[in-house]
Amino acid sequence: METNRLQNIWKNNETKIKLKTINELNQSLAARSRQTINNFLIFFAIDVFVCIGVIVFLIITALNRQGDILYQANNAVLSLVTLTSFVISLLSWIKLRNNKFNLPLKEWVEQRIRLLSKWLLGKYSKLYIVLIPILLVMINISIHVYYEYKPLIEVMKNEESVIGLIIGFIIGVFVSIFALNKIRKYQIKNLGNLKEIYARLCNDAI
Amino acid sequence: MKALKDEFLEILSNYQGILHKVNLVYFRNASDREDNFQEIIYQLWKSYPDLRNKDSIGSWIYAVSINTSISRLKKKTRIEYREELPEPVDTYDIEEEASRENDFRLLLQAIAGLNEIDKSIMLLYLEEKSYDEIAEILGISKSNVGVRINRAKELLKKTLNLTEHGN
Repeated sequence: METNRLQNIWKNNETKIKLKTINELNQSLAARSRQTINNFLIFFAIDVFVCIGVIVFLIITALNRQGDILYQANNAVLSLVTLTSFVISLLSWIKLRNNKFNLPLKEWVEQRIRLLSKWLLGKYSKLYIVLIPILLVMINISIHVYYEYKPLIEVMKNEESVIGLIIGFIIGVFVSIFALNKIRKYQIKNLGNLKEIYARLCNDAI
Repeated sequence: MKALKDEFLEILSNYQGILHKVNLVYFRNASDREDNFQEIIYQLWKSYPDLRNKDSIGSWIYAVSINTSISRLKKKTRIEYREELPEPVDTYDIEEEASRENDFRLLLQAIAGLNEIDKSIMLLYLEEKSYDEIAEILGISKSNVGVRINRAKELLKKTLNLTEHGN
């Protein structure tokens, strides 16, 4: 088969492509934009709902335990972490969605690799391993101490409470680390695929 | 904003053939193509305000379409390989049409066997883009483009000859 025959076969079938009208194109754009806005609203609503719920709980419980400074400090730190997570999650979402595709393929792949590498392999990428157990201990304490109707120090002296907290902590750590590792594995696979494409693009000698 | 959108839709209407062809090369069934078509339009609209050089609209559309398609391919864990060609617009010569359609189907099947980079290179080659333009769209060197085109052409020819003789 001659080389230019490939181009002829391709060209001959150009007329078979059913083109859309401007109105249909507009509808496609509107549908896709609406989908993005809806996704953002759902994500934003869940984020706000969870964060406000946690913060309201922490404030009410702290106000009900005005004499217990340790308990109040615990809740204040948790509130701060919740607020920070809320801002970081929103910013990350916006950054991810703002990724532009109008670059040459090699540059675009390079940009995606940089972004994903920073998240998955960067300086703070493993911070969650330290943060999750600490936060779980603090949340468990906040909930458990509140429903025990006793000061934090007294609750921590009770053997049953400590065992309950340890069991809650182990289950919490297991579930959250498992879920996060699943997400990380998926993203690491994505990163591997992008690196593979990049390597192929760089290899002039193939 | 409305004027910008109208201008964008006008350009899109004139160049939409590129989107359909990129879709043909990367996706094998109509529903995947429609989803990807919408995604490409959305990504084009997002980056339209950054388009400075209106002389290179074609290259910009190719770049966004190829990047979006590759990104979408990577997200999909399973791709259904069910061949669906676009509907023909007329049947003025049924026999000739059938033969052309068969050639086109074989060509698409052969392209499907290439990796995602070679698919885009072959698409640009079939669209009669120069090596310079292909290098610019993909961000690789001209020599790399040349090597890849020759290799992909050989592969396509081999596959097509094998399939034709097999039939």
